[in-house]
Amino acid sequence: MARFSLLLLALLIFPMALQAQPDDLEEQARRIAAELRCPVCQNLSVADSPSEMAQQMRALIREQLKEGKSPQEITAYFTSKYGEWILLSPTSEGFNLLVWILPFIALTGGILLVVLVVRRWVQRKSGYRQGEVDPALIQRVQQDIAADKVWEVDPDIEGPRAHLIHEQARRYTELQELEFDYQKGRISDADYRDLRPRYEAQAANVLRELDSSSALAMTETQSRGAKRQTKYAGPAQTGKASSRRGWVFAAIGAFLLVFGVTLGVFLSKSLRPRSSEQDSITGDFLTGTGPGGISASSAMGGADLQSLLTQGHAAFERKDWSQAIDAFKKVIAIDSDHPEAHTYMGFILTQAGHADSALLAFNRALSTNPEFPLALWGKGMVLYRDKGDFPGARQNLEKLVDLLPPGAQRNEVQRTMDEMGSRPADPVQSKQLVAGSSRIEGTISVDPKLKAKLDSRDALYIIVRSAGSAGGPPLAVKKVGRPVFPLSYSLGPENMMIPGRPFSGKVDVSVRLDKDGNAMTRDPGSLKGDYKKNPVEIGSQRVDIIIDQVL
Amino acid sequence: MPWRRIVLTLAVIVPLIGILAYGFSRDPRYILSPLIGRPAPPFTVTLFDGKKLSLSDLRGKVVFLNFWASWCPPCRAEARDIEATWKKYKDKNIVFLGIDIQDTEEAALAFLKEFEITYLNGRDASGRISIDYGVWGIPETFFIDPEGWITYKHVGDLGSQIITSKLDEARRGFISAKEGKGSYQPIR
Repeated sequence: MARFSLLLLALLIFPMALQAQPDDLEEQARRIAAELRCPVCQNLSVADSPSEMAQQMRALIREQLKEGKSPQEITAYFTSKYGEWILLSPTSEGFNLLVWILPFIALTGGILLVVLVVRRWVQRKSGYRQGEVDPALIQRVQQDIAADKVWEVDPDIEGPRAHLIHEQARRYTELQELEFDYQKGRISDADYRDLRPRYEAQAANVLRELDSSSALAMTETQSRGAKRQTKYAGPAQTGKASSRRGWVFAAIGAFLLVFGVTLGVFLSKSLRPRSSEQDSITGDFLTGTGPGGISASSAMGGADLQSLLTQGHAAFERKDWSQAIDAFKKVIAIDSDHPEAHTYMGFILTQAGHADSALLAFNRALSTNPEFPLALWGKGMVLYRDKGDFPGARQNLEKLVDLLPPGAQRNEVQRTMDEMGSRPADPVQSKQLVAGSSRIEGTISVDPKLKAKLDSRDALYIIVRSAGSAGGPPLAVKKVGRPVFPLSYSLGPENMMIPGRPFSGKVDVSVRLDKDGNAMTRDPGSLKGDYKKNPVEIGSQRVDIIIDQVL
Repeated sequence: MPWRRIVLTLAVIVPLIGILAYGFSRDPRYILSPLIGRPAPPFTVTLFDGKKLSLSDLRGKVVFLNFWASWCPPCRAEARDIEATWKKYKDKNIVFLGIDIQDTEEAALAFLKEFEITYLNGRDASGRISIDYGVWGIPETFFIDPEGWITYKHVGDLGSQIITSKLDEARRGFISAKEGKGSYQPIR
């Protein structure tokens, strides 16, 4: 019987386990990743971070789930590598317990404080509770009022009962004013009958409080007309108290001044604008970390400037524009007039189609060194290709020819000038088509909404089909393994599927990020994007595609 | 009464300023490693010459394990020092092993060529080894003693003096109480 039960249980569990596989795994992986802090974008979870590290961590979580590890085991694995820092919610044990308890203690304390303050305030505002008033006290109040005296309290009066003495003088004055207004006919009988007992009760309550405490002397003086001074303390004591009060105000003022100045210096020294995604807003002064975590002293060194330039060149050559921009920006941060960095920024801006900004960058480089060959070349080419400003282009290129020694480079510049002489000024034409080229060039980026779906293992296919042909083999395909977006691409005859066919005419360009790396299969979940202005002529530049569809 | 009030106000404000000062004076990116004084996580890496190397093969030797990338300026800054120290120690039962992370093979090879690096180097393409070692800023270096325990960790560039002293400590199995810090580059 027991064996039968076990078999039944196994049969029941097996299909459930099968059903729970793929979707469940993704969801489970997402849930685990959402609890972990990304070591790169530290204010994001591993589930939300677009960094390469977070992608690798997500892949590892999936792998461990497939191996049959429980979410607790996986979390424990990451904690064993990065410490509790990796947990977005710290554990509620030991010292960490404070983090969980303190907010509630602070909240409760805050609420209690507000309740106390409000109660005291309401009590003061509304006078003291009516009812339960001793008739003898009412009588005393009436006698005091009937005596028709002026009540005045020294404003510097101090001591635990000071507020009661002030309160008493205020209540008495109110009653006197009420009486005066009534006699002058300024208020009605009804109002007077309503207000008088209430004011008397309030004044009586103050008297009671004064009596119940160790009664503080309130000396009455003179009658109406002559000012009556009520002194809680003698004149010498009052003087001392007021000078002490002055010191207190001065001390508070000085403290606030020092606090403000310290905070101001502190913040301005330790905060800075983020210069890149990798950068943090704190650093330099206190933490010793400069932009991107590199200490200022090290970044200032000539060797680092050189290595940043080398890094920038390498990124530029492999068309990793964001890396290149990062490196050249850092160079400019160290030396704001560095002609080479400005020139390369100009080339990058040219690639991105920002001819005007590129010209500014080249001009900046030339303002430091008017004979910087690379900047002359860049400026000349932008004026020629993008602006159609042939005389301007010629002026720069001629200067360059004069600077260059005889050789291949000089011949190339000369050839460009000859070519320019034979072409009409047509900026639009020169902008759209690469002269005599049979390539398609542009950039590929991903819609921010789909960034979470990117997988570092995906392969990118750039597909070119003859315009209007839905089926059959594409004209050309280019595969990019492990793409990093935004990505610049260039397709030419070497990417053709069937060599020998002409690579010309109008074509449709699209891209696909494939899950399994096999271009022949269309896996669900793969991402796709089409060039919005399809069809395009082969030879076009800036065929920029955004990946914005999910298959 | 007013003094009591001032003391009370200061008692609230001073700890708050203290917390604020502490928050500003620490590097928000810094992650303290729980790995020092623990066995080094095992791994197998494919070296750039195609051979495979496991950490377990190096048992009995002091291992200098350095995570780097070609795009990281502090890695470039320390590269020559590491190579020079390696040349000094290569016959002394010490192994230098570089692990290239978040990089392309071409860029990594160009880096090795540029700095004429001769010690063992491999690439962690999947990021598994770097996660296993809790890497968050590069260069990051682990010193492993002959028993396979991590004795010291250094985030940021290293000079030959630190390398020499920490290798000596690792040889003796001396575990450092604190990790070291230099100029580093956050990973991507």
